[in-house]
Amino acid sequence: MAVAPERPRIYGASRIPQPIPTVLEVPEALRETDDILTINFGPNHPSTHGVLRLVIDLDGEHVVGLAAVVGYLHTGFEKNMEQKSWWKAITYPERIDYLSFQANELVFVLAIEKLLALEVPPKATWMRTLLCELNRIHSHLIWLGTSALELGAISLLWYCFRDRDLVLDLSEMVCGARMHTRYFQAGGLAEDIPPGFFAECRKFCEWMPKAIDEYEAILTRNQIWLERTKGIGLLSAEDAIALGQSGPILRASGVDWDLRKADPYLAYGDVDFDVPVYDGGDVYDRYRVHLDEMRQSVRIVEQCLEGMPGGAWIADDRKVVLPPREELHTSMESLIHHFKIVTEGYRVPEGEVYTVVESARGELGCYVISDGGPRPWRVKFRAPSFVALEATATCMADALVADMIAIVGSLDTVMGEVDR
Amino acid sequence: MAVERGKRLRQYGLKSERLLWPTKGPSVFERELGVEDLESMLGLTTVEKAVAWAQGSSIWPDTFGLACCAMEMIAVVTPRYDIARFGAEVFRSSPRQADLLIVSGRVSHKMAAPLRQIYDQMLEPKWVIAMGACASSGGMFSNYAILQGVDKIVAVDVHVPGCPPRPEALLEGIVRLQEKIKAGVPPAYEIRGVAS
Amino acid sequence: MSYSQLPGLVETIEEHAETTLVVDPARLVEACLHLRDDLGFAFLSDVSAVDYLGWAAVPGTSEVSGYWGGRGGRDLNDPGTWGLQRLPQPKPKRFAMVYHLLRLERDAPRVRVKAYLDEDEPVPSVVSVWPTADWHEREAWDLMGIRIEGHPNLQRILMEDDWEGHPLRKDYPIGGEPVRFSGEE
Repeated sequence: MAVAPERPRIYGASRIPQPIPTVLEVPEALRETDDILTINFGPNHPSTHGVLRLVIDLDGEHVVGLAAVVGYLHTGFEKNMEQKSWWKAITYPERIDYLSFQANELVFVLAIEKLLALEVPPKATWMRTLLCELNRIHSHLIWLGTSALELGAISLLWYCFRDRDLVLDLSEMVCGARMHTRYFQAGGLAEDIPPGFFAECRKFCEWMPKAIDEYEAILTRNQIWLERTKGIGLLSAEDAIALGQSGPILRASGVDWDLRKADPYLAYGDVDFDVPVYDGGDVYDRYRVHLDEMRQSVRIVEQCLEGMPGGAWIADDRKVVLPPREELHTSMESLIHHFKIVTEGYRVPEGEVYTVVESARGELGCYVISDGGPRPWRVKFRAPSFVALEATATCMADALVADMIAIVGSLDTVMGEVDR
Repeated sequence: MAVERGKRLRQYGLKSERLLWPTKGPSVFERELGVEDLESMLGLTTVEKAVAWAQGSSIWPDTFGLACCAMEMIAVVTPRYDIARFGAEVFRSSPRQADLLIVSGRVSHKMAAPLRQIYDQMLEPKWVIAMGACASSGGMFSNYAILQGVDKIVAVDVHVPGCPPRPEALLEGIVRLQEKIKAGVPPAYEIRGVAS
Repeated sequence: MSYSQLPGLVETIEEHAETTLVVDPARLVEACLHLRDDLGFAFLSDVSAVDYLGWAAVPGTSEVSGYWGGRGGRDLNDPGTWGLQRLPQPKPKRFAMVYHLLRLERDAPRVRVKAYLDEDEPVPSVVSVWPTADWHEREAWDLMGIRIEGHPNLQRILMEDDWEGHPLRKDYPIGGEPVRFSGEE
């Protein structure tokens, strides 16, 4: 699982800048020459994937100094979630990483279930797996479309968003909303899977590999794409681990690490898939990792469709889960449970947990502290994009301005997650 | 009727020469075209209406995507929803070249100053669509970090509700904006100021 | 996995299949070096700051803030109205800095290192151990006001540079202002 010692080293000594690991400082000699131009890049810029501000120092076209300024999308999620009951707080995490929204919902709901020691029925587990993999495809499609757009391959935008709409059609079929579905509930799913979903999902799984073939045909051996991404933005495995990178960035640097394989959660232990690992550590390898992950996600979705069990879609614990509506007419206890859950909210026992999932960007963690009451005491999201931006300075050694766009794009950052 | 000398044409009420002088036959132009009744083939309008029609039919938005709504805004550009058929062909990156600011996403206090700066850099006439619940009113984030409605700092023409609004909802907002422009409603900064 | 050699270890808690090591903040860097070099926790996953103000307080008497500014406010969620059935275990100090570590091995062994801090008590920086802690510690300073000693670049990261106060503290109000509707002027 860890870095194999015989793996080729991408570069020699660590390139993490000193003394501040996240700021590339202009060398003293250059600073004296007075040739340095300091430019502000963002927060409103078409190529920065959201409201990221980079203050760069340029010596001609070379980027010699870089500092990232974030916080332009700070929303106060964590404080807001402390004010809401557990039920209402589940609505918030989706908007943190708005491309990979199911993973955010999942990690928070898994944390609540861990604290409650709640057993989730298998149908809900498999459906969650399916939706998370569809969401991974969704996130990678948007990443590919927008990154390629920034490097000039504009047609990829149209292709990727065409397929992204197919994924969102499936989301809409399941719960009514395209994005931010709020479909996961503490204990399982909010509602049963509607009829017709599986047939549509199968059609999608037949179409998607052909679509990925189209993207590969456009980009993978394209001379311009190779020139702009090969050898750009190198990050060695040791630096990546020291900088806390995870997900596609880590796998493109040669480290075979995927939480779905290392510590399987949901139904990942029961499905068969590969984890793409490349050891170039550059933008091109990150692109390859994303594309291969999309293929593997389609494989997982197909296996989830085959192996989807029947049965209940949510746990039976009436202290936490709403009783079925039909029962409210006949059972007094169900009515009382319903009333208490809706008005007061359920209590989660005292404790603290740190649940982690492999979102499309890497290791997404949720640290939840409960004081035994009806509201969370502290919720902290470990956002992979926050950590990915810390690596910008390291990847930017010997970069040109045009390379900087490619590198920031390849780090796949979502500013909602960075700023929370 | 006879033409009185010394009276200006407009005092007859903007009528064409042919109506004033019905006995005068068709003009050379009409004879060349081979028509009898040129008035039925001409559009008569005012300059304001013509300009409003042109402005409304080619609103170019600025790339101001902030958060989740930006994803649906990008979706509106894609072929399935296709904003180009409404005239918003290109999203300009420079505010100097844009007419429309679609504020898509939550605006934090830190971002409020750049937002106002971008708005100020746009040239008149300019319109603003507050897309989504967060831009319209702060959305679900009633807290220290988020501006409770972008109309506190810029004058908004159309609010589009939703979290996030479907691309069709955004298109509805743009169509309504177009109708407002073509009806002659002035842009919001002329009608109302911003809330303090 | 034996943590008995950890410098500064105060307590070990095992709960929900997770291990928490409570460590004396003065010996934090030593403990982290031991964990990274001797026990192999090369990956720092997360650094969180926690404020326990109002924890285990009798309902209705705590300083925890409600909605709309101020300490009392129109708090519809005041614990006094719903009633906690049992008060939680009290914590030794007001703040805690929590570090989540990971070993990149099968089964992903994780450990949590916790250091309790008083108000205004600083905590040493672990940037020299794991460079990724840079921004996490800046966030802890920005949002929770925990001073990090030895941090190379301790500035605000998420809030504006001239913001006053530390928003995630429990005595900082949730804030917000009224929404302006078009009918009223």
